[in-house]
Amino acid sequence: MTKYCLTVGLVVAVLAGSVTVHSTYAQAADSKPALTVADQAQKAISAAEVQVEKAREAIAAGKELIAQIPEDSPLMPDVAQVVEAASANWKIAIDSLKGAKESSSKVATAKNPSIASDYALLAKVNAGVALSGAEVVQIAITYVEAVQSNKAESLDVIRTALQDALASSSQVQFNYERVKKLIAEKYSK
Amino acid sequence: MNKIYKNILGLVCLSGLVVMSASAVDQAAAAGDLAEISALSVMAKANLSQAALGGDVDAIAEAVKRSDAVDASVNQAMQSYADIVVALRNGDEDAAQSAADAIRASLEKAMDALNGVIPEQVADAVNQWKDSKANTAGGPGQPYDPPNMYDVPWNSQQMRAFYQSQFGNFWNAGLDPSDNEATPE
Repeated sequence: MTKYCLTVGLVVAVLAGSVTVHSTYAQAADSKPALTVADQAQKAISAAEVQVEKAREAIAAGKELIAQIPEDSPLMPDVAQVVEAASANWKIAIDSLKGAKESSSKVATAKNPSIASDYALLAKVNAGVALSGAEVVQIAITYVEAVQSNKAESLDVIRTALQDALASSSQVQFNYERVKKLIAEKYSK
Repeated sequence: MNKIYKNILGLVCLSGLVVMSASAVDQAAAAGDLAEISALSVMAKANLSQAALGGDVDAIAEAVKRSDAVDASVNQAMQSYADIVVALRNGDEDAAQSAADAIRASLEKAMDALNGVIPEQVADAVNQWKDSKANTAGGPGQPYDPPNMYDVPWNSQQMRAFYQSQFGNFWNAGLDPSDNEATPE
């Protein structure tokens, strides 16, 4: 009986070991070295920082562009709406970048690898929210630029791109909330 | 000796279970991938708006092509996420894992599409989908068709029941439409 139990135990161990070895080989076979979630989070934060900085510059340029649009321009109500969307997304971008950095700072001090991995995942996804918010700001300022420079033929394309970007950006935020909820559920069990 | 064997067996089984459970599908990570694909879609739209501002028709066409391919990957990933939810609910770990792998594959496809690497069959599929949605000037079931003003939206069993119950309430209140003056005078 004992021998039988030992054999079963060894089989389980070998099977489990083969899963690990297989995934290790799979990673080694990739041309690029596999990034850990923490590395991915750091990379995502860096990318978000770049885009937030670009959005900051775009907003500064946008203020001057709006001043150059005649007040009686028929597109002024559109511009007002676009600026409102930009303002809301700018706030989202700043808050999310801050949140991503906060989560990332907790990775190193986490009690165990599982918690560290969850913090890194939160940081990565929140950085994605920041990045998409910053991109929406840039698209909005592109629209203002097109109005200011009378590029009427571009307006329809940019308007549609902005609407689609807003929809996709809300998907990013929705999935961030989903990730947060799933992680919270994991620890509330 | 027996005790030693049992301890070894327990340890081996436990470590086996820990490693096996580590390979289980992580739904949060899958949702994170889904968020990443949607963020790529936003980037594709930003590139499109830049191309539109530049005014180069070829650049706009290329940006539209890439954006459409990224959106196709977003849709595939959303479908795969729904598959994960169903598989986990049914306790089908293999199906959940294959759906999670499909999300990773969609993420890679979206990244490739953003960089302009679009498999021909994807581009063809996107074009076919677009053609199928083109306005056929009144053809049934197509988008952008003019509304049919003779269609009566309230002519359904549910709406009829609703209005009948409203009329019942009115009747029970003891009022009659003729009790009200047609005009304030």
